[in-house]
Amino acid sequence: MEMFEYTFMINALIAGIIIAVLASTFGIFVVVKRYAMLSDTLAHVSLLGVAIGFLLNISTIWSAIIVALSASLIIEYIRNYKAVYSDSILAIFLSSSLALAIIIVSLSNSFNSSLFDYLFGSIVAVSHEDIISILVFATVSLFLIGYHYQKLLLISFDEDLAYTSGINVRFLNLLFVSLVAIMIGLSIKIIGALLIGALMIIPISTAILFKQGFFTTWIIALSMAVFSVIAGLTLSFYVALPSGATIVLLTLILFCLSYIYKKFM
Amino acid sequence: MIELNKVSYKNILCDISLSIEKGDYVAIVGPNGGGKSTLLKLILKRLEKDNGNITLFSTPQERFKEYYKIGYVAQNSVQIDTNFPATVEEIIKLGFAYKTSFFTKITPKENQYMEYLMRIFDILDIKKQLIGDLSGGQRQRVMITRALLNQPKLLILDEPNAGIDEASQTTFYTLLKELNKTEKLTIVFVTHDLGRLKEDVNKVFHINKVLS
Repeated sequence: MEMFEYTFMINALIAGIIIAVLASTFGIFVVVKRYAMLSDTLAHVSLLGVAIGFLLNISTIWSAIIVALSASLIIEYIRNYKAVYSDSILAIFLSSSLALAIIIVSLSNSFNSSLFDYLFGSIVAVSHEDIISILVFATVSLFLIGYHYQKLLLISFDEDLAYTSGINVRFLNLLFVSLVAIMIGLSIKIIGALLIGALMIIPISTAILFKQGFFTTWIIALSMAVFSVIAGLTLSFYVALPSGATIVLLTLILFCLSYIYKKFM
Repeated sequence: MIELNKVSYKNILCDISLSIEKGDYVAIVGPNGGGKSTLLKLILKRLEKDNGNITLFSTPQERFKEYYKIGYVAQNSVQIDTNFPATVEEIIKLGFAYKTSFFTKITPKENQYMEYLMRIFDILDIKKQLIGDLSGGQRQRVMITRALLNQPKLLILDEPNAGIDEASQTTFYTLLKELNKTEKLTIVFVTHDLGRLKEDVNKVFHINKVLS
């Protein structure tokens, strides 16, 4: 196939598939914990990181990761303090980080096509170094999620029950949101800050329609996410469509088809 | 096994003292809103007491870490998210959550014990069904099986019979009595109505009520 003759397409496919696996793995816990807004919030916060990166002329990926990670820790701290509702904390962070990002960008006059790439993703933006970073992170984070799989499942099912079973719920919640923040920081270059949340939520919501167990739901979601990434990148190459938007639209089509199938068949 | 000495919490519980020994079958009785669930939350450290001392398994609560020795079924355990994507078997295996991971599965012996529990609680045939698709009684039996899987030394049940039909309740009481006698399992049963439980228990504590 013609697209495999281009290194940037091979890089985009490798990075996209790894991100799809990560997005489904984190997404299933995010969705069942009713914490779906977390991904969108951290994606917007990572945009602030990108803006800071442009301003200071440093690596935008690392500045996005650091800012998203710091925000995730603060969000989790405030959530534990229980002085503010969880969804309100997320809304506050989402809007204020976006506002701050816009101000920084306007002050530094750095609104250019690069920032547009971070909003909606760009397949040509994935470098060899990005793939190495994503691969290392995926290995470490999938090991950590696998190691704490049962505990995270119990926390998602009933947080109180997890506390009374002697599980360190606060530490695991902190670890989990930190991993989500890093994953989003790493992914926004290819999928886009405005669309990464959808890749985490839509395939899981689709898989839940099939009413299967936790593991099977994860496998279904993962397969759909990987399929959407491969098909989306292929389409974006041949039809010249934006990669992130095409991938997310494909996940949405799968959701609609699954919903119709479950409703009428 | 559990010692409470003049424990107080806000204006809900005042100077509560009680002692529960190994092998006891205890009922904690009191009116709705009387502080029974609060008392359990204090024992399980989900709430911080204002005054007094709590000792669990001869260890001051402040230093107690072995909560896996306690099986707990919460008051609202049957009220779950019905869309939660997990099978009965997956939920029961969470009884081992503190020591298992995705990479380490339960041993054949533990699996055998799990199937034994599922058989006596009559849920073996539904182990592949989703937890959200079960009736209130079935869900309650799943949550109790999960609590017992780890062979706890102490089982704490907070109004576990709420919303359960009469026939299921009779089976449930018989099973608890059997576990207390044969396995020497210490049971703390919280209820607002002692009812037929008074024939099985050996101690009754009344919360927010003068002893009759």
